[in-house]
Amino acid sequence: MLVDAIAAERFRLLRDRAALFWGFAFVPLAALAFSLAGDIFVRLAFHRTIPGATTDLANRALGAVAGAAGPVQALFLLIGAAAIVAGDYRWETWRLLAPRNSRLNLLAAKLLVFTEASAWSLLLTAVCALAGGLFSSVFNAAPLVAPASETAFLGQFAGVFLITWLEMLLIGSLACLVGVVTRSTMGAVIAGLVVVVVQSTVAAAIAGPPVWKSLAVPAYAAGILKTFLAAPAGMRPDGEPALLGLVLLIAWLALLTIAALLLFKRQDLTKE
Amino acid sequence: MSFALETENLVKTYGSVRALDGLTLSIPAGGVYGVLGPNGAGKSTLFRIALGLVRPTAGSARLFGAPVGGTTALRRVGAMIETPRYPPYLTARDTLRMLALESGAAGKADIDYWLERVGLGGAADRKAGVFSVGMKQRLGLAAAFFTRPELVILDEPTSGMDPAGIQEIRALIRDLADKEGVTIILASHQLDEVRRVCDRVAIFSRGKLATEGSVETLTGGRARLRLTVSPVDKALAVLGAKGEPDGPDNVLAAIERDETPGLIRALVEAGVEITEARWREADLETAYLGALKTETPKTQEPADAG
Repeated sequence: MLVDAIAAERFRLLRDRAALFWGFAFVPLAALAFSLAGDIFVRLAFHRTIPGATTDLANRALGAVAGAAGPVQALFLLIGAAAIVAGDYRWETWRLLAPRNSRLNLLAAKLLVFTEASAWSLLLTAVCALAGGLFSSVFNAAPLVAPASETAFLGQFAGVFLITWLEMLLIGSLACLVGVVTRSTMGAVIAGLVVVVVQSTVAAAIAGPPVWKSLAVPAYAAGILKTFLAAPAGMRPDGEPALLGLVLLIAWLALLTIAALLLFKRQDLTKE
Repeated sequence: MSFALETENLVKTYGSVRALDGLTLSIPAGGVYGVLGPNGAGKSTLFRIALGLVRPTAGSARLFGAPVGGTTALRRVGAMIETPRYPPYLTARDTLRMLALESGAAGKADIDYWLERVGLGGAADRKAGVFSVGMKQRLGLAAAFFTRPELVILDEPTSGMDPAGIQEIRALIRDLADKEGVTIILASHQLDEVRRVCDRVAIFSRGKLATEGSVETLTGGRARLRLTVSPVDKALAVLGAKGEPDGPDNVLAAIERDETPGLIRALVEAGVEITEARWREADLETAYLGALKTETPKTQEPADAG
């Protein structure tokens, strides 16, 4: 049953501390460390605080979450994803697992555990951004300020969180598909990273109003969606491209996931 | 009779290599069934098909009457295929716990009991990835048995083990088959191991069944006396139908042990010089090599006769 496979995968990931740390915790913790080091360096180097400076914790968290699926973060996420979805090729352990559950359950469980781990990672990103902001506020004597509308902010934050999470899931599905095809964790990381970097570069270079062709680039679609969701109520751009972008992101996710599952279902595990 | 594993015209090709070439075989439920054959004969491929690891190119295979690949039948099976590998970050105990979760058997699997039973009680909390080959084999056996399956498929279960370990594992296999009614299918290159442990044997050659039957039938049923004599033809004349030549200076005598003094006396009285006399245990090697030469599929006797 799928629930058994999920329990087994979760158990494994919790014991694979290297994958857990590098894949899902390193980037948020490193960002926090950089934030603290930056504050300390500025204070020690210039021996003063900036008069009138404030700390907007909410926007710090929002910004950190919005940028959590960029190419650098994707590299580490790909390492975590590859360890989960393609580790059994590397360790030649499919022969232990495959007779104990259905192929679809085995791979679906890996994707679902990645989904859970990436949500925790994103949450950690937000928490680390808040912690860094609090430190900055105290250390630099910069008082905390609240967002203009707390209710609106929560909606914005939840929306941006979900879109970034969707981007992370796309990275996981991509790693899964490449991992199944290449039977290699390294293949999943390298090919995945190339795709992420290329589509981020393309997304940055796209000019003009969003059309379906440009929205088919996941990084661009996610950017349009986040801009739409994070904009103040009176300044929201047209919602149609954002909706189309969301549909295309979900379509990509479904396509990559189904392709990986179908390939794995028919794959011969002669020598993993 | 019920069958644990049945195949019909099973074919598996890897590119231009035909690993299984129309294999038809019925392995009865109960007892220990040996699968013999040289490297590349198709033993591991048969096991991988039975466990749903690879898909047959043609033909069919059934586990307990159900087509292979379905999880219902697979939940009745435990297996160890080739030298098992383990995720390097899991201890022996965690490896079994993970497999129990995967099988949906976390509640009924007695992990500590099985670690003790295969001799890994003291290494339960060590990482399995750094185990020696023999220890990996032991953990693989625990993984195959610990969910108490009805059928266990073992590919070279004692390879890499020390002699004491080999003896322990052979006793364990026999014990599980005799006392707990587990059907065990075992592939091995060690003919002596198969002779000691198995009830029935199939010999594969180039992806086909070369011969199949009970160990007793294939080995001729009993030990034979090997005599180094001179002259050989005179010794063979004394032995009559019970003797056969075995190389230039030896004869094999198919006699009972209590006939030995009488035979020696008769040979000496006939003027035959005897340099050495030694009992040779029932010989699977001859049957094995003979089957590989002829390669014509044949069943020595009905499956229920053994």
